[in-house]
Formats: sequence, structure tokens, C-alpha cells
Amino acid sequence: MNNVALALDAAWKVLAAGLILGAGLPALFAVGVRSMAYGSGGDAEVDHQAPHPIGKLVAVVCFAVVLAAIALGITFIVASGFGKELSFEHIYPILKDKG
Amino acid sequence: MPHTVDVSSELLILGLTVVTALAFDFTNGFHDTGNAMATSIATGALKPKTAVALSAVLNLVGAFLSVEVALTVTNAVIKIQSSDGAPIQSLMGAPLLMIVLAGLIGGILWNLLTWLLGLPSSSSHALFGGLIGSTIAAVGMSGVNWFGDGHKLGGVMGKVVMPALLSPVIACLIAAVGTWLIYRITEGVSKRFTETGFRWGQIGSASLVSLAHGTNDAQKTMGVITLALIASGHQGVMDGVPLWVKFACALAIALGTYLGGWRIIRTLGKGLVEISSPQGMAAESASAATILASSHLGFALSTTHVATGSILGTGLGRRGAEVRWGVAARMVAAWLITLPLAALVGGVTWWIGHLLGDTVGPVAIFALLVGLSSYMWLRSKHDKIDPNNVNDEWTDMPSASKNAVAKKSVTVGAADTTASTGTPLGSTPTDTTSFQTTESSKEVAR
Repeated sequence: MNNVALALDAAWKVLAAGLILGAGLPALFAVGVRSMAYGSGGDAEVDHQAPHPIGKLVAVVCFAVVLAAIALGITFIVASGFGKELSFEHIYPILKDKG
Repeated sequence: MPHTVDVSSELLILGLTVVTALAFDFTNGFHDTGNAMATSIATGALKPKTAVALSAVLNLVGAFLSVEVALTVTNAVIKIQSSDGAPIQSLMGAPLLMIVLAGLIGGILWNLLTWLLGLPSSSSHALFGGLIGSTIAAVGMSGVNWFGDGHKLGGVMGKVVMPALLSPVIACLIAAVGTWLIYRITEGVSKRFTETGFRWGQIGSASLVSLAHGTNDAQKTMGVITLALIASGHQGVMDGVPLWVKFACALAIALGTYLGGWRIIRTLGKGLVEISSPQGMAAESASAATILASSHLGFALSTTHVATGSILGTGLGRRGAEVRWGVAARMVAAWLITLPLAALVGGVTWWIGHLLGDTVGPVAIFALLVGLSSYMWLRSKHDKIDPNNVNDEWTDMPSASKNAVAKKSVTVGAADTTASTGTPLGSTPTDTTSFQTTESSKEVAR
């Protein structure tokens, strides 16, 4: 029955990481789409407001963060294939040999 | 078991095993195209052909990235190798090759049957099931690694059963939360904006799933082929995976992906939930995150289970979206029986091969594989699903009237494209609403 405990232990970690990356990033992307619409105004929104240029800026920042996260994801796949792993021990990601 | 097999018959069985392993890899590819691309195809973010081509290329790239190939891939569920990858001495040569060949045949036949029925079942479960079956037939129950060593997740329980129970639920939760958030955040934005914006997000996240799939699944076959080479003395344990094996496996999975399992793509993209671009993006992001986080934590899971859970989740997370629970129940049923039935096929295949002897046996079971596969392929022609009708309106009917439905759905599809005002045949009220919203969103886009 040890497997059940081990699996549940792994499962909640996957769930936590998944919620941040798999739901958080799409939400951030949605914020980007929302601000882009706010920035464009007119037909982009249901209430047809005037454009707010700041919205486009916020949108670009959101999309950049999402893209960076995807780049990190790809690095992660590639790295584990080459016997390296992505480490966050210094907060910012670095590549190191697998321990 | 002392075996004295002459060299030519051992070469023959090795050749058949390698070919069969590549065939399995190929079915693995087309069985799983939908996991990554079904949502993008269903929402029209990508044209069907473009989607499978993109997925194929990414699978090919992914297969080469997985340098860290599990030589010990079978150790998760059976005991035919030691922990360093060397085959168990008593099974060296033909006996081990026969186990692997029969197991692969079990996996392929089950993959093809579920494909014929349009059910997204797990290819890894089919492979493991087949190998478990042939091992039980050859060695007995003691040959199966049921529980692992107890210190980390292992055995059939830890590597197959627990992840299969948990991973769809995890992916479903993540996708539901993601979908709910996306819809909350983008309230008040016109459809034109959300549709085009999220299409890009969808393509990106689906690509990530394809890449992860290539790294995960192609290496299973690489491991199996290398095991066969070691068992027949063509390869040392320390040499790792030969380059030609990598190339062959990467190509096989990419070609399979490009062929596209249209029947499964249709079930995942149209059957389970009517999907919009934001939902598609939420589903693929949830899948990608779950797959990557799991492989990082050593939690073995099936891409298929994750993708299906995610798509279900997007249906739950969006208010007013319809989830076809009948379709979902059929899928879950297929998951439950995949491992035992693939095991049964693997076991029976091993017996047939064993009874006919080391020379005739492998040829006979290979012929059996070719025969049954051809039959299923011909059978699929009766109600063909291809890039042209993969997105037709879903009509949920018992399989008895499948042929009639297939013909009818073609006409319905034609009516759809000409944007007729009539209600599509056999669609439920919710279907009609979602149908109209997509139409009106196109209106906005114009």
C-alpha cells in the first residue's frame, strides 16, 4: 500500500505545479488578451470604449512572460534529455547536471 | 529453460521483433495525435493536415531529444531485465525475444481495436499490458513486478494503476480552473478578439504537448528494441541505444502521427465537449503542465489520460458547456480494460508462438498480427473518418447504426459549411446554441 501514499504525495505536487503553470499561465495570457482589447477599444470590446494605449503595453508584458515560461518549458524537456536538469535553487532557472 | 536455437531462426525472430516494435511505435503515433491536436483541429485554429504535420515534426524532434533512453523500460512492470538493463540470464536469446514479440503484438492489436472504435486509450497501457500478458504466459505470475520495491513508485500498481487513477483527475481540475479563469478574465471582450488571440495560445500549448509526447513515448520503443538486441547478443548492455534505433523509432512515431488517428481526434475534439479556442488553450496548457511536472517528479503517466481529463475539465469549467458523459464513460471503460485485455492478447499470442516452436512460432504470430491488422484497417473503410469529415457535427448513436450515421453526418457537415439556418440533424439543443455562437462569432470576425 506504500504505492498509494507515494502516488498521492506525487499527485499533489503535480497538481500544485500544474495549477500554477497549466492554469496560471493561460490566465495570464487571458489578461494579455483582455488588456489588448482594452488597448484597442472599439469593436474589440462589447461596450465599444475608446482605446487605452496602456492596455497594449500591459498585454505585451503578459505575452512576454508567457513566452518566457514556454521557453523554460522547452529547455526543461531538452535538458532532461541530455542528462541535465533545470534548477530553481537560486530562484532564477539554471541548468545543472542531474544529481 | 535451456534453449538451443540455431542462429538463423534467432535472427529471424529478432528481425520480426524489431519490425513489430516499429509498428507499435507507429500505432503509438497515430493513436496519440489527438492528445495534442484534437482541440486545435476542432476549433479550426489549425487545418487538420497542418495540425498533424506540425505534431509529427515536433514528435520527431522530441524523439531525438530524449537521449536519456530508458534501457530499463520494461522493469516498471515485469522482471525480464536486471536493474542495469541486462536481460535475465535464463531468458537470454529466443525466450526473451518471444516474450517481447508477443507483448508488442498484444499492444498493437489493442491499439488498433480501440482506434477502430474511436476510443482514445493509452498506448503505454497497451504496451505494458501486452508485455505483462506474455510474461505471465512465459514465466508465470512471479515474472510480473506488481508493487515495486516500496521505496519509490514502482510496479504495475505504482507505475500504471495509481497514475491512471490520479492523472486524469489532476488534469481535469487544472483545465477546469484554467477555463474558468480565462472566461472570467475575458468577459466583455468581443468574440473576434478572444478567438484570434486564443488560437495562438492554443497552437503554442498543443505544440508543447506534441514535443513532450515525442520525448516520452518514442523512447519506450527504443528501449524495447535495444533490449531485443542485447538479448540476442547483438549489442552490449553498456553501449546504450544504437543510432539507427533512434532514427527508426523517431521516424516511425512521426509517420504515425502524420497519418493522424482521425477517428480518435474526432472523439476527443468533437465527441466529449464542444470546444472553443479559449477552452482548447486551457486544455492543452493543463496537459502540457501535467505531463512536464509529472515527468520531472518521476510520476509515470499516460498522455492519453491527461489529454482526456483536460478536455473534460474545460467542459466543466465553462458555464453552459455540455459534457457528453456517455462518451466519457465509454472512454473510462476502455481505459479500465486496456491493460487486462492487451495482456490477454499478449498471453494468447505467446502461447500460440510457443506451441509452434521457435522457428514457425514467430512467423505465425507475426502473420496473425498482419492478418488482424489488415482486417481492422479494411473494417475502418466502412465508416471512414478523415480530414474532411473529422469536424462534422457529433451525432451520438449506438454503434449498430454507425454506418448510417457516417453517411448522414457527411450531409450534415455539408449543410454546416454552407451555413444553413436549419438545425443540424440529431443535435441536442445545446449543440445548436454552440453552433450558433460560433456562427455569430464568425459574423463578428467578418
